[in-house]
Amino acid sequence: MGIVLLRVDERLIHGQVVIGWGHELRPDRYVLVDDELAGSQWEQDLYRLAVVDTEVDFVDVESARQKLAEWREDHRRSIVLTRDVATMRRLGEGGLLSGEKVNLGGIHHGPGRAEVLRYLHLTQQDRADLMALAEEGAQVSARDLPDAPKVALATLLED
Amino acid sequence: MKRQEDVGARRQGDGPSSAEMAGVDAVGVEPEARGISSGTRLSVFARTLLVQASWNYRTMLGSGVAYALIPALRALTDDDDALDESINRHLEHFNAHPYLAGIAVGAVVRLEAEGADPTTVRKLKLALRGPLGSLGDALVWATVLPGTAMMALTAFWLGAPPLVAALLFLLAFNVVHLWLRAWGFRAGLTAGRDVGRALSKADLSGWTRRLEPVVVAVLGVLCGAVVGSDDGLFGVNPAWTVLAAGAFVVGLLGGHRTWRPAAALTVAAIGVAAIVGVAS
Repeated sequence: MGIVLLRVDERLIHGQVVIGWGHELRPDRYVLVDDELAGSQWEQDLYRLAVVDTEVDFVDVESARQKLAEWREDHRRSIVLTRDVATMRRLGEGGLLSGEKVNLGGIHHGPGRAEVLRYLHLTQQDRADLMALAEEGAQVSARDLPDAPKVALATLLED
Repeated sequence: MKRQEDVGARRQGDGPSSAEMAGVDAVGVEPEARGISSGTRLSVFARTLLVQASWNYRTMLGSGVAYALIPALRALTDDDDALDESINRHLEHFNAHPYLAGIAVGAVVRLEAEGADPTTVRKLKLALRGPLGSLGDALVWATVLPGTAMMALTAFWLGAPPLVAALLFLLAFNVVHLWLRAWGFRAGLTAGRDVGRALSKADLSGWTRRLEPVVVAVLGVLCGAVVGSDDGLFGVNPAWTVLAAGAFVVGLLGGHRTWRPAAALTVAAIGVAAIVGVAS
């Protein structure tokens, strides 16, 4: 019930999420938290193509913060996705994600990003944001697929 | 310059989207108005047939897509540096089902011709790669390919010469394959950034769902043909063919719950047929 997965994945909805996590968790809907997507109809149309028969909602960060409690109580099972760490941090700021598990999926190589895991590349700011989330009670770990090993934040951040 | 302003104005208005304006006539892309001649379009399409030729783990179909786009990118600029820059942009990682990659290529051609900014083009490609992969896998690899292959095998077991069966497969599969590629490229070209809406209207996953019972029926007929044909394993009555096909279709249409029992029944029917055939 409620939020069955809270994940950072730059590809948002894609095969790994739909097949890998979707088959495992059987969500009733995907919630994509992203300020820009929330206002872009054509991009929403594209992301909706990735799933069949499952609702996809697009919500900006501010509204998502207000709705988090409601989603937790909802009888529908939600997979909540953000495309970057910064958005997840904003979603959780002030301890809103305290007690929640935050899953880090794919963030691929880019400028200023260092490889932490094969599928995870973080900037210094990402690291700071993740530590802040953890300090406010979120349980942060990385795992690309449900049957892959889970890597705790402490392990991710040690050099 | 004026043309681009027109396009921009239309895009911002609340009027019908470019996909809707182009309507059912997917050919009516107003190619000249976009600075992309029909020759250029044809050449881009021909290049999409080679989209897998430089497949690699790093960029996957990325270099194939960039290669396909070259004639269009070249038509849009006279400046060599700008051309290099735009080809480089498109060399990044891209993945999709190879037969549906043309949808992305077509949409990118349209966007580039409209003078869309690189960020928009990139967003379109990023958002398309997931769905184009999964829609294509379900439709082609899991449905059309096994369906046409089994159809040819059935023809063989029912007495067609091997060469005819092989040609039947190549013809049936490639008619769908090439049609899909041509349709996709045109759909992308027509819709541009509204390709998401165009694709959900085209309802590829609905087609996959509708084709599944057909494929399963062919599998049933094939099982029956293997068991029941004159040259078949046991030389029993071809009526088993119909029974086997029927059980498969009932199972499929009945949904997930009846699929397994129906498949088990089919196997049982074939088993009984085998015993009867051996005993008689």
